[in-house]
Amino acid sequence: MVLQGLMEVLQPMTIVLVAIGTVVGIIFGSIPGLTATMAIVMFLPVTYSMTASEGISMLMALYIGGISGGLISAILLNIPGTPSSVATCFDGKPLADKGEAGRALGTGVVFSFVGTIIGIGLLMILAPVLCDFALKFQAYEYCALAIFSLSMVIALTGHDMPKGLISAVLGALLATVGLAPIDSKPRFTFGLYQLNNGFALVVLLIGLFAIAEVMAYAETVRQKQDFTIRSNVKIKGVGFTFKEFVGQIRNAVVSALIGVGIGILPGIGGGVSCMISYTVSKNTSKRRELYGTGIMDGVVASETANNGTIGGAMIPLLSLGIPGDAATAMLLGGLQIHNVAPGPLIYEKNGVVVYAIFFAMVLAAIFMMLFMLLGMRFFVTVLKVPKNFLLPVVVVLCAIGAIGNANMIFDTYCMVGFGLMSYLLIKSKVPTVPMILGFILGPTFEQNLRRVSQLTSSDPFWNHPIFCVLIIATVFVVIFSARANIKDAQRAQAAAQQSLKSGVGDK
Amino acid sequence: MQNKNYKTDIIPGIVIAIFSIGYLALVPGIQTFTGLGSTPLTNHFVPYLWGGSLLALSLWIIVRGFRRRKKYLAEEGKIEKTSLKNALMEQREVVASFIALALYVGLMDLVGFVIMTILYVFVQILILTPREKWGKTYVPAAVTAAVSGVLLFYIFRYLLNVLLPVGVLKFFGL
Repeated sequence: MVLQGLMEVLQPMTIVLVAIGTVVGIIFGSIPGLTATMAIVMFLPVTYSMTASEGISMLMALYIGGISGGLISAILLNIPGTPSSVATCFDGKPLADKGEAGRALGTGVVFSFVGTIIGIGLLMILAPVLCDFALKFQAYEYCALAIFSLSMVIALTGHDMPKGLISAVLGALLATVGLAPIDSKPRFTFGLYQLNNGFALVVLLIGLFAIAEVMAYAETVRQKQDFTIRSNVKIKGVGFTFKEFVGQIRNAVVSALIGVGIGILPGIGGGVSCMISYTVSKNTSKRRELYGTGIMDGVVASETANNGTIGGAMIPLLSLGIPGDAATAMLLGGLQIHNVAPGPLIYEKNGVVVYAIFFAMVLAAIFMMLFMLLGMRFFVTVLKVPKNFLLPVVVVLCAIGAIGNANMIFDTYCMVGFGLMSYLLIKSKVPTVPMILGFILGPTFEQNLRRVSQLTSSDPFWNHPIFCVLIIATVFVVIFSARANIKDAQRAQAAAQQSLKSGVGDK
Repeated sequence: MQNKNYKTDIIPGIVIAIFSIGYLALVPGIQTFTGLGSTPLTNHFVPYLWGGSLLALSLWIIVRGFRRRKKYLAEEGKIEKTSLKNALMEQREVVASFIALALYVGLMDLVGFVIMTILYVFVQILILTPREKWGKTYVPAAVTAAVSGVLLFYIFRYLLNVLLPVGVLKFFGL
């Protein structure tokens, strides 16, 4: 069955389709607002006339390309192409600003490949075992997981904890707009049917990052003379040395495992996994203070984790028929179109297709790395386009992405609204990144908290060891992160006072 | 040093506090489900939780801002005042960009994607270019605007089936 699956993927037609799917996926991923999900949606009808192996292989290639492509705009423009690349901006853009765009892209691409391969490896080996574990996650566990993930916000807040928390709460609050979970009663929709489904994550991301980037540039128009960013056009190999690669292995493995773990759990996804792994990498690193200034470690953590999520998300999809996020829900549709029924019997009934999917994923990962490394010099030339010409076109692409999300012009109004909000928050020194975590996790928290409220009398929390472990872990994370933040703030204040004193002394 | 930042505590704190009060005031108006399968925690609970938390956090930064202001006054002796008009003039490119963007999305449905994109891209390029370089920018800006408007419309409307608004061009058979 394994060999048959391999032979299916090695058919010339399948190889061509995987290559096309990967390239299209990368393009979709790199344009802010266009996501892997949209790429799969648009190409789903195209696969109708193909064989199961061809069609599903192409959809897998779109998925992998779509998740990986997000790093291009995250690094070059500070605008995450997909929610999965949010944390890539933190160190990717500073690296590009330092003239090391090639190094940042090379790191992102290679470790995206590493993350994908680790994810696929775990998918092939551990699928049945991990599925049993994932099935233990019910309302209590999801509620605790949401609380645990929200506690990570404190580590992302930086020196100013209350403002970071304001951002996170604001995100959670925005997520309450639309039909309430469980009872589906409209909340804060003001009678607008467009708000019934709530705000879309991609629209929020475009507003927070793309519009804010344009406004940040607009502020500097009268000061700036040079419209282009310095870029490392002399890219040697993949942009980093073998020694540097070896130095990142531990970071990559931990991040990939986080990515796979988060991917297995439905409803969480790459957007959270990249931020959690970035936070874990930062908190456990000896060079914690360098994160955010442009170091490889941050890009490695984010990109390995979000690609690891792909393998993780496929585990419940194939073994249980439970999609982890919107993209895997579309893949589920693709599987059903081709008469592949996901579930515990999938290996018996469609073993060849399952192994073809695994090999197609590996092939797509290889194509993704090849195309992105070969295209790196082209991507870096984006930086040479004057920003006063580039940014308006990016805004138009973002508007298209917002419209394409649900084919509604209304989403572009929300995009501008979020852009204005983001600009005012940045001016007020409120970080916008915690808002994304709050926005993603708020609904998970609410839905499961309300389910837990139904269960408490018949099924008390001490019957749920995973819940207890996660709550204890949350307490540790809060204490550890809060202490680290307070120390950082004190250090920054002491450094500021020191420089003030030395300035007075010089005078 | 931090005391100088008191304004970024007080003003946003007040705005966020007002917003959270408004949000909390809307919560009782939300319909709840009380039938079979309803949860002890209604759909009011979490909005109250987030709204209350936001109000508490905004009060925290307001109090912190006033403390910083007091310390800043003690250190510097006086407070510099800037008028809203001056602040807006100082950021006129940002204000103009937001107006251009609002007009772009606001009129897109009526006028159509192609025309609005051409106008927006052209105007936005000029806004992001220093005035003394406008002379050399008109032609490349017009070309960029026209090419991006037409090309993106064609690719996304006809090849990728994104429903971009046609607007007035529908009278020309588009």
